[in-house]
Amino acid sequence: MVTAPAVETPSTAEELAHTLNLAAEERLVVVPVGGGRARGMGDVLGTCDVEIHTTKLDRVVEHSQADMVVSVEAGITLEALQAELAKSGQFLPLDPFNSPGHSIGGLLATGWTGPLRLRYGSPRDFLIGIRVALPDGKLATAGGRVVKNVTGYDMMKLHYGALGSLGVIVAASFKVFPAPLHDVTVASDGGWNAAVHALSTPVPPAALELFSSGHVLARYSGSRDAVDRVAGDLGWKRVETDVWDEHSRRGPETWARISVPREALRRIVHGLPSDAEWWASPGTGIAHWAVTSDARSVLGVRAKAESAGGTLVMLAAPDDFMREVGAWGTPPATLDVMRRLKHAFDPEGALNPGRFVV
Amino acid sequence: MLAETVADELRRVVGRESVIDSANDLRIFERDASIEGAAPDAVVLASTTEQVAAVMKVAARHRIPIVPRGAGTGLSGGAVTIRGGIALQVTRMRRILELDPIAQTATVEPGVVNQELSLVAAQHGLFYAPDPSSQKACTIGGNAAENSGGPHCLYYGVTTNHVLGMEVVLADGSVHWVSGDAPDRAGLDLCGVLVGSEGTLCAITKIKVKLLPIPPSVATMLAAFPTIEAASHAVSAVIGHGIVPSALEMMDGVTVGAVEAHYHAGYPTDAGAVLLVEVDGIAESTRELMVAIGKILSDNHGYAMREAQTPAERDLLWAGRKGAIGALGRIKPNYYLHDGVVPRSRLPEVLAAVGEIGEHYKLPVANVFHAGDGNLHPNILFDMRDREVMHQVESAGEEMLRAVVEMGGALSGEHGIGLEKNAFMPWIYSEDDLDAMHRVKDVLDPDGILNPGKIFPDPSRKSVHLAGRTGLAIEARWW
Repeated sequence: MVTAPAVETPSTAEELAHTLNLAAEERLVVVPVGGGRARGMGDVLGTCDVEIHTTKLDRVVEHSQADMVVSVEAGITLEALQAELAKSGQFLPLDPFNSPGHSIGGLLATGWTGPLRLRYGSPRDFLIGIRVALPDGKLATAGGRVVKNVTGYDMMKLHYGALGSLGVIVAASFKVFPAPLHDVTVASDGGWNAAVHALSTPVPPAALELFSSGHVLARYSGSRDAVDRVAGDLGWKRVETDVWDEHSRRGPETWARISVPREALRRIVHGLPSDAEWWASPGTGIAHWAVTSDARSVLGVRAKAESAGGTLVMLAAPDDFMREVGAWGTPPATLDVMRRLKHAFDPEGALNPGRFVV
Repeated sequence: MLAETVADELRRVVGRESVIDSANDLRIFERDASIEGAAPDAVVLASTTEQVAAVMKVAARHRIPIVPRGAGTGLSGGAVTIRGGIALQVTRMRRILELDPIAQTATVEPGVVNQELSLVAAQHGLFYAPDPSSQKACTIGGNAAENSGGPHCLYYGVTTNHVLGMEVVLADGSVHWVSGDAPDRAGLDLCGVLVGSEGTLCAITKIKVKLLPIPPSVATMLAAFPTIEAASHAVSAVIGHGIVPSALEMMDGVTVGAVEAHYHAGYPTDAGAVLLVEVDGIAESTRELMVAIGKILSDNHGYAMREAQTPAERDLLWAGRKGAIGALGRIKPNYYLHDGVVPRSRLPEVLAAVGEIGEHYKLPVANVFHAGDGNLHPNILFDMRDREVMHQVESAGEEMLRAVVEMGGALSGEHGIGLEKNAFMPWIYSEDDLDAMHRVKDVLDPDGILNPGKIFPDPSRKSVHLAGRTGLAIEARWW
């Protein structure tokens, strides 16, 4: 970035929409910022005139314990939301890397997930309502506060993972989950074979992570009898559940997310440099790689991931490295349709221009 | 009527035998499972993606409405050709193209029947989770277009949670594959937006879905309650204890009477309501959960609790639930069914309102629904031959939906907006909300040929005739 951008910290959704609209009308470049934990994601911006921070939009709008539904403003951190839910024995099953400090809006915009995705899916599956500020100053709501809803288009999907390229998420509603009755984590150093074995237990693990060291962590949750039987049958060592907090703090300076059909993951990960540090969710098909090799090696792995039907996305890298590798890889065949959607929401190209795929 | 030249173009694309345009034959295609009907000008029976694309191009060239259609079991008028034009029938595209037991996925054509897929997958110990009550007839293509649900969606999620990718034909006739196999993609989630778009954004020609391992153990329990209210509280109590069963269904006394007369499944006919609860997993887990659920239900006035002892007994309990709406034919020949959703804790209140509305209009109402999700299904029972009653039925349905919205709910949980509820969309969404949705429509279907007159309010056709029940403010503006 050439000059320091102006920083706006609106305290209401309406104010945010107004700020966004003014900037768009003046043809300024706007970058929405949440917790700032994923700022390295995406291609390098040519310029940034205004940063709109959602920090002040940090309220829990409503948590209905009986309905297991929560509505929050987008700037609230994941930790603050979890603390609120924990008061009622509930939680949002989202444990992204480079924690703590992610904002909910940022997590929705980036689509970052963690190990619990194996059991619970991603926010794509439990985001039930959204409110977005658009560059023309309008605030558009979709979905609602019920757990099952086909009233109108599923605009949650449109904005989830769109890196704030169509609008700025200002609020969201989620279906939340009861804290598991019983939650046990076991560990092994048996590498892929141990991981594959643990994935095929009669009760599948809620999370399973394999590390480049050959270490494996498996988390089982549910009813006490079932969890104890399954974890016991594995015969692995019991470890404290807070290993997961430690795991979620991983966030290397240069790192990539490999996302492929799960049956292809082993092959792709085997193609990483032999000294590479990585961790993987073999049950979902996702691996994260702390990149220390050169751009060419990243491009080589990306080519393999793409030919397996997947992606390699850079989550953060020094500018020069990011320019050389590109954040996203080969554009999807539907790029033209995506561009037309982008144009319909952000005709001036105010939001994150050049940073996302569209 | 289509111009003869257009009909000829269609015949050139799919063959003479695959275009239906005689007035008599067209009448077969004028309805789905909702109330309103309108005959298409032509029905095209497509067999391949190429044919779908070519038919779409004909429609685009002549700006003729085109409405994709599966088995026609939809409940919101999604497949009704309200503006005439072409009904694009895809039931000939009924091959399971690939079933990969290792990846646990299947790629199917849109005309594959929901239950057929699960039957075939069962050979590999797998099943397809979304299970609408019409699963013996409804198609995967229709399910994807409507984002269908079903009893087991409480735990497993609705159709959109199970679709990995689709091949779609856009309004210009172009063919695209959206999303795919990998858990994350680069770019916008077109697949997620297209699922549930009710045929207004694309025609679906292939669907890749997730399959799940059949759980080793299933336990199903039926419990009676003195009143709907007691049963509603029991539902909240189960979930409030941190237990999410795979299904949690309610039937009221009216429904139970009809079902028992028809299926003899042993439903307690003296009950004000019954709950059907199912959990699955390994034996240890289902046993433990069933004991816990049994205690919660009996603490909440549950009685006559009965756990299915054999698979046959379980099937019979489910036959009663899934066939409930058919059994209601014993009371009146027609039903009008809404599927509004409320926050679960508002169930007792909204069911009381539904009951009052039925009484006010002197119409019998039978409730059979996905209680765990808060997804109502009040069936207003009537006889269509009585022309006087139709207006009453419509007003009663509208008031029920209004009550749902006033309690912070949504217009539809799984049946879709279609033709039936588009007039009510402004109850839920502001002009700006609808405008944002319409931008998506305008990008993907600029000439508005795909399933026109659906989802968005159409003032030229139908207006809301209620101002809402007096004195109640809408709570749906939720920010």
